[in-house]
Amino acid sequence: MHELSIAQSLVDQAVDTASDHGADRIDRLELAVGEATHLNPDQLVFCLENVVAGTPAADADVVVDPVPPEGTCTCGWSGEPDTLPELPIAAPDLRCPECGERIELTAGTECRLVRISVPEAVEA
Amino acid sequence: MLTDLFGPLSMHRFGHDRGDTDGGSGDHDHNDTGGTDVLARYRERASEVHERVVHDHGVSCIEFLGSTGSGKTTLLERLVERRPADERVGAIVGDVAGDDDARRLEACGVDVVNVNTGKECHLDASLVADAVDELDLETLDRLYIENVGNMVCPADFPLGAEARVLVVSTTEGDDVVRKHPLLFQSCDAAVVNKTDIADAVGADTDRMRTDITEVAPDMEVFETNARDGSGTDRLTEYLAASGRGHAHTD
Repeated sequence: MHELSIAQSLVDQAVDTASDHGADRIDRLELAVGEATHLNPDQLVFCLENVVAGTPAADADVVVDPVPPEGTCTCGWSGEPDTLPELPIAAPDLRCPECGERIELTAGTECRLVRISVPEAVEA
Repeated sequence: MLTDLFGPLSMHRFGHDRGDTDGGSGDHDHNDTGGTDVLARYRERASEVHERVVHDHGVSCIEFLGSTGSGKTTLLERLVERRPADERVGAIVGDVAGDDDARRLEACGVDVVNVNTGKECHLDASLVADAVDELDLETLDRLYIENVGNMVCPADFPLGAEARVLVVSTTEGDDVVRKHPLLFQSCDAAVVNKTDIADAVGADTDRMRTDITEVAPDMEVFETNARDGSGTDRLTEYLAASGRGHAHTD
């Protein structure tokens, strides 16, 4: 359970950015969360909704965009890896579909504040 | 009417419950610095720990993680007992509460920093950096980090070690690998511990090996009985090869 500390970091970032732009209210938070992380989007949203209390984002809508894993291989392959079959939890198949070597993930392990929305006319 | 910050320069409209879903004028985006990846920030902190411990001070740094009761501390006791006579060992030990593991390692002559994480379920690189401050790196050859017993959260939080060694035991069931693929993928080596009682608890260690190879290709696997130390020699050799510290070499 580390969604709470992650949520706190995200809200701090959002509030700082809004403040930098002279906004005193945040209406929407949009996040990108990698599918190859252990961050649970539902828990993250729940934590965010609690962490925002008393901040300019108190009434913000929270949207989470899942990011599927992507990878590259030293053989030159890059793309979205398959999902390992028959596992109780989704995990990328780290074997390169071209050469069988282990690939490096280039996406799917992130948790990023992609966009915040604030009332217009605070900064143009 | 809303202004988007962070987003791409392309216009971005969205439904909103305050009555501005009519495509009303004035929605526009600002291309800001882009949001920081919070998880990447933890990975960067891990790199800083690595730089300081391994590169600046030439201390070999190995992390052990796995469930509570998998045998991490017992394995560390065996490794410490078998260390070369001149090897000076430090350890950072994470637990939600208490200092039981820290005391055991201290009894083996290890310079230990105990980290109680309280409500957090894993060590992160910031906690490790603070703990490193309490150690005299000049006096150490090797630093072991024992993470909080947890099979989920540590996957997203590397600590800067040269090798992450995941310790699982046969008592966790031979399907433990399949239940925790992302954690295996985040580690460099796996120890299957308590092999002496595999039959008694109905665990098929061959299946565990096969699962590890499927989930984390090329992962080194070691079978041990940490209580009597069997199987730890190969692990010792692996750690000697993967964790040397490399001060002044780059």
